[in-house]
Amino acid sequence: MEFRLEAHRIVSISLGKIYSARGQRGGLKLHKNLLVSLVLRSARRVYLGEPGGECALPPRPGPPPPDCERLRRGCRPLGSEPAAARGRAECLAESPRKRSAAERGQAAGSPGKKPRREAEPPPPQEDMETGNVASLISIFGSGFSGLLGKERGAAEASEPGQVCCEQPVLRSLNPWSTAIVAF
Amino acid sequence: MAGVAGGGGGGGGNDFQWCFSQVKGAIDEDVAEADIISTVEFNYSGDLLATGDKGGRVVIFQREQENKSRPHSRGEYNVYSTFQSHEPEFDYLKSLEIEEKINKIRWLPQQNAAHFLLSTNDKTIKLWKISERDKRAEGYNLKDEDGRLRDPFRITSLRVPILKPMDLMVEASPRRIFANAHTYHINSISVNSDHETYLSADDLRINLWHLEITDRSFNIVDIKPANMEELTEVITAAEFHPHHCNVFVYSSSKGTIRLCDMRSSALCDRHSKFFEEPEDPSSRSFFSEIISSISDVKFSHSGRYMMTRDYLSVKVWDLNMENRPVETYQVHEYLRSKLCSLYENDCIFDKFECCWNGSDR
Repeated sequence: MEFRLEAHRIVSISLGKIYSARGQRGGLKLHKNLLVSLVLRSARRVYLGEPGGECALPPRPGPPPPDCERLRRGCRPLGSEPAAARGRAECLAESPRKRSAAERGQAAGSPGKKPRREAEPPPPQEDMETGNVASLISIFGSGFSGLLGKERGAAEASEPGQVCCEQPVLRSLNPWSTAIVAF
Repeated sequence: MAGVAGGGGGGGGNDFQWCFSQVKGAIDEDVAEADIISTVEFNYSGDLLATGDKGGRVVIFQREQENKSRPHSRGEYNVYSTFQSHEPEFDYLKSLEIEEKINKIRWLPQQNAAHFLLSTNDKTIKLWKISERDKRAEGYNLKDEDGRLRDPFRITSLRVPILKPMDLMVEASPRRIFANAHTYHINSISVNSDHETYLSADDLRINLWHLEITDRSFNIVDIKPANMEELTEVITAAEFHPHHCNVFVYSSSKGTIRLCDMRSSALCDRHSKFFEEPEDPSSRSFFSEIISSISDVKFSHSGRYMMTRDYLSVKVWDLNMENRPVETYQVHEYLRSKLCSLYENDCIFDKFECCWNGSDR
């Protein structure tokens, strides 16, 4: 479960890296971008719950990372989406890590998106966000359009999960990708 | 210039205690980007230490001769020569700036009084000659002391110029420029044991050069797939064998090393030996691929072993055993639990080098 949250975070960080690599002095660094795209691919696989994605990860020993812990606690009562979103925003604010454009857009976007969240059912939501991500990758990662092809196929094949925490995560994914596309 | 470490001290018994014997450069945190050191390399004798920085400069340090009057200065290194090796360039065709950062420096074995080194940025390799001048000729017939030409009709007698000592001057001059052979970023150069050729490696190709010839190079390895979408690994480092001038190795981002023999074919796409340690499934994570990428490979002086550095460990391989290394050293295993943060702040992409000591211990 926490794999998916971690995977989601890693996906957004990776996309942020691919985006910022475009403006780097000295041109595209093939090695680094290849590694980032590999991480992105395995994180997406885990996030979408594909077979071979989760199996690739060992059962995590020790305590889960703190932000995922808080999120889990926040979303245990079913449907308490505002609490979960607040919890996530808190985690992001408290974290001393450098925040990528993705996270900034997400934190800013989630309160505003609350009314919209209630109305939309998960399946079209997921397709929309996958479409956004796929187009993002085609825009930003011109050398790895094979990744794009695999992801489109993967999105069609996967089923929307029924896990309680998926709702807030999915919903918050939308403003995030909108924010990046706006760049 | 950012700080750089000097040698080490010895300890008792089997435990070595390492400490800095000399630190050069700025100690405060505020270091200009251009001053950040990007590569270091000792020459064969260890008397000279070359450093390259992000601003395209090379600074060479020389070890002071140990003398009896100062027994405590055990070979201190002082600046010997500084020169601008590479300048930033602009590729108009691709609309890309080419960084002047020096990626690697390799010394050539010394054959006369002058020293030669190869320095490379992302695209161009340069051969530099570093020579000393401590004498000056005086008493020219056709020139005045200040260099002006004398009127030949005024010369009534001839004299032989005399060499007079002068303050030591160290000059660096570019002797060869090897350009336009790499589409991707050069990550390694390695001088061959024949002292005539060297290789340069970028992410997807390795080229063989002759030190005297700058307008041609031979491509000896090409791992570029026909379809770039199928790209799964890149070349990360390459080195010639110290004794066999036909053998070289190259490491990949997948944690594998390939040994190639140039006698087997002109294009060494098929390796002679393939070194890979099977992955430990219990330590798999999102970042397994990144941390298994090899950042440096070095042959031992004997040529029997090679050392590889990946993100968390150093491995020693016996060239006769391809399925696993003979020794593995965890350098900073405590970072394994922090890989996600290191990924976020880009530190997971840092590249470390490794090196054998003089006696391969």
